[in-house]
Amino acid sequence: MRKILIAVVLSAVPALALAQQNNIGTCGWGAKLFDGQSGMAPQVLAVTTNGTSGNQTFGITTGTSGCTQDGVIKSTWKTAMFIDGNKDRLARDMSIGNGETLDSLAHLIGVREEDRATFGRIMQANVSLIFPSGSTTGDSVVALKQVLRSDRELAQYAVSI
Amino acid sequence: MSYSPRPWWAFLCLVCCLLAPCFASASTYLDELIGRSRGLRLPERREWHRLMHYTSNLITPGVHGLADARRFYLAPDGKTNPQSELEATLAAFFSDVQETDKEQNPQCAFIARYDWLDRQLHFDPSRMAKQPCKRYHDWHDTLNPQGVTLIFPAAHVNNPSSMYGHTLLRIDAKDQDEKTRLLAYAINYAANTNETNGIAFAINGLIGGYPGTFSIMPYYLKVREYNDMENRDVWEYELDLSPETIDRVLMHVWELGPIYFDYYFFDENCSYYLLELLEAARPDLDLTSAFRWWAIPSDTVRQVVKQKGLVKRTVFRPSNATVVHHRLELMSPEERAFVNPLARGRIPSADAALAALPPPSRARVLEVSYDYLNYLRATGKSSVAQPEEVARTLLLERSRVSASADDPPVPVPEARPDQGHGTSRIGLGGGRRDGANFVELHGRPTYHDLMDPDAGYVRGAQIEFFDFAVRDYSGDVGARVEDVTPLRIVSISPRNEFFQPLSWKIDTGWARRRVANGTEPLVFGVHGGPGLAWTVPDTLRSSTMVYVFLESTLQADTRLENNYALGIGPSVGALIDLTDRWRAEPYVREQSFFAGDTDTAWTAGLRQRYTLDREWALRLDMSRERQEKQSWNTVLLSLHHYF
Repeated sequence: MRKILIAVVLSAVPALALAQQNNIGTCGWGAKLFDGQSGMAPQVLAVTTNGTSGNQTFGITTGTSGCTQDGVIKSTWKTAMFIDGNKDRLARDMSIGNGETLDSLAHLIGVREEDRATFGRIMQANVSLIFPSGSTTGDSVVALKQVLRSDRELAQYAVSI
Repeated sequence: MSYSPRPWWAFLCLVCCLLAPCFASASTYLDELIGRSRGLRLPERREWHRLMHYTSNLITPGVHGLADARRFYLAPDGKTNPQSELEATLAAFFSDVQETDKEQNPQCAFIARYDWLDRQLHFDPSRMAKQPCKRYHDWHDTLNPQGVTLIFPAAHVNNPSSMYGHTLLRIDAKDQDEKTRLLAYAINYAANTNETNGIAFAINGLIGGYPGTFSIMPYYLKVREYNDMENRDVWEYELDLSPETIDRVLMHVWELGPIYFDYYFFDENCSYYLLELLEAARPDLDLTSAFRWWAIPSDTVRQVVKQKGLVKRTVFRPSNATVVHHRLELMSPEERAFVNPLARGRIPSADAALAALPPPSRARVLEVSYDYLNYLRATGKSSVAQPEEVARTLLLERSRVSASADDPPVPVPEARPDQGHGTSRIGLGGGRRDGANFVELHGRPTYHDLMDPDAGYVRGAQIEFFDFAVRDYSGDVGARVEDVTPLRIVSISPRNEFFQPLSWKIDTGWARRRVANGTEPLVFGVHGGPGLAWTVPDTLRSSTMVYVFLESTLQADTRLENNYALGIGPSVGALIDLTDRWRAEPYVREQSFFAGDTDTAWTAGLRQRYTLDREWALRLDMSRERQEKQSWNTVLLSLHHYF
């Protein structure tokens, strides 16, 4: 634990650059999906279910728009977008050390079968670093990368984020 | 010096000679293709009609296209003339437009048509240049398709557009398995609107006031939306399609990307257009013809399952609320006692008594508390000031426990949505009312009532449209319409110490009502109100559900003394499954009319249903009613058929 903390502190400068590079603000879905989604009223008002919002984030032949190309996520953004769309579930699976959302993340960043157990264990040990209080998706992406880098076996996967 | 025209003429001749072959070649090749397409009668082929979304006219001969965007039909009369559309499409394929980020060559923009026509006419690339269509191929490669799955999120009574459930398609990628399906893409057809007014949304949805479009998004967003935010269970039906068919689905989706259709809740809705999409890819399937008037998602799923060998496998994905419910039931009372205080932040997650539990038990308590807190957040019932902080401390505490709770997964329900009763129902019966015998014909076009068998449906959710009954009485009364109810919704959701949903009901229509002079006119009214319900015992699959409602009635008719009547009163009852097939509902209802009319009306009765098989059921309704100081008994025995 302490080793990772030190690593995070030492790499604060590149982390800043990374944070900018991973600024999800312009194209994340977290805010859109979870804000104002409470109580029966918004459910009745069909905020998302069958009335997709008018913007074309999900348009199929709309060319380049934000982090998508013709509606599919550009490969450089897929990890950040996945974390953004699955925060609560991912944090939950990390705290347990396994689960569907964590498996999907492992698959997304190419963690091989033989490293899955280590991956689960390291994620469980570092959930508080990856999802610090009041964190944004950008923070989580940066922290995840740092946590992977700090582990000898998992460092190889940090590059694919 | 005299003017000599010669150089000018020579130049023109040269230009003509140079260009003529290309023009001649393009137009002769086009003429040749058109000639061959006519010879093969391609414009009449089902494949072409499915690709162009033609449907036969209701009265006049001929067809019309369902797509409403002008850009989908290339010929001026293409929406109604399959032949001129096919020929205009062939002509467009000669376009030399280069693909950019915002524009496509017609061969790419209409890639499914190109693919089909190419297979029929075997285009010669030396006479009509083949476009690379890089954008389509990049998109296809990102999706990396291996399979298509039909997704059915269960009904959601609280959302007018999802009352009957919803359907969408999932494109499964080659490198995914059951554990990583979240990473697949979902293709959704929906009304495209920012409308936040529920009533405007419902009305516009009924009259086709919104453009419906196809869109694509990661499946995880849909899972989060249905499972976690709306707490709807999801069924996944993996389809058995060949790689060529899957590619045709994708090509057609690509083609429909910028196209819109008028969205109608009842017929041309999400489920209908997914069937159109599957038919365009597999024209040998007949999926849409059964849904001329309305397409209920569960019926469209049934139609897909009916096709021999089309469904390979089904997967059940329980909602967050279902999982919490299930895991709470598995808990010991000692464990369960921690959940509410932990989720509501009343005790710290590092509580000493909790720390004393064995590790697997602690893991279970912390996980369920976190999931329950998320349920509270999603339904707006979280009373904690900072739920994110409470959630975070629960997770941190959980991450310190290396043991696993190892709870068994939620059992898959015995009946899938496609295995429930048919959504239309007709009943024939006979009985006696207030001393007169009668026979009754009862019809209900859609969809489910509280006395129908629950298998495959959401328990406690009743949705009926255009329910009606006609009776022929012996004696003076004769034949008459008994009631017509355009809309009736009842949502009964049981409460316990963890879940506190409100139940509610609303209905509107015409029913017989006794008035002061003793006659029984058919009176229009609106009726409904909030309620509370509980299961006894408090378990997910409990056999008894009791309810109380506070109901109000507003009736309007010139035959009422003051043209209207307004009343309010309680109702109480219970739905009891005596056996798997036999359900009984005793009930009492009272309405005190205080404005427009002063009368205390009440009904007490017992309804019973006995299921014979999936398509047949017997009903026995007995009641005693009192209106305008007159009382009478009714008994009705009827046979109901679902289809």
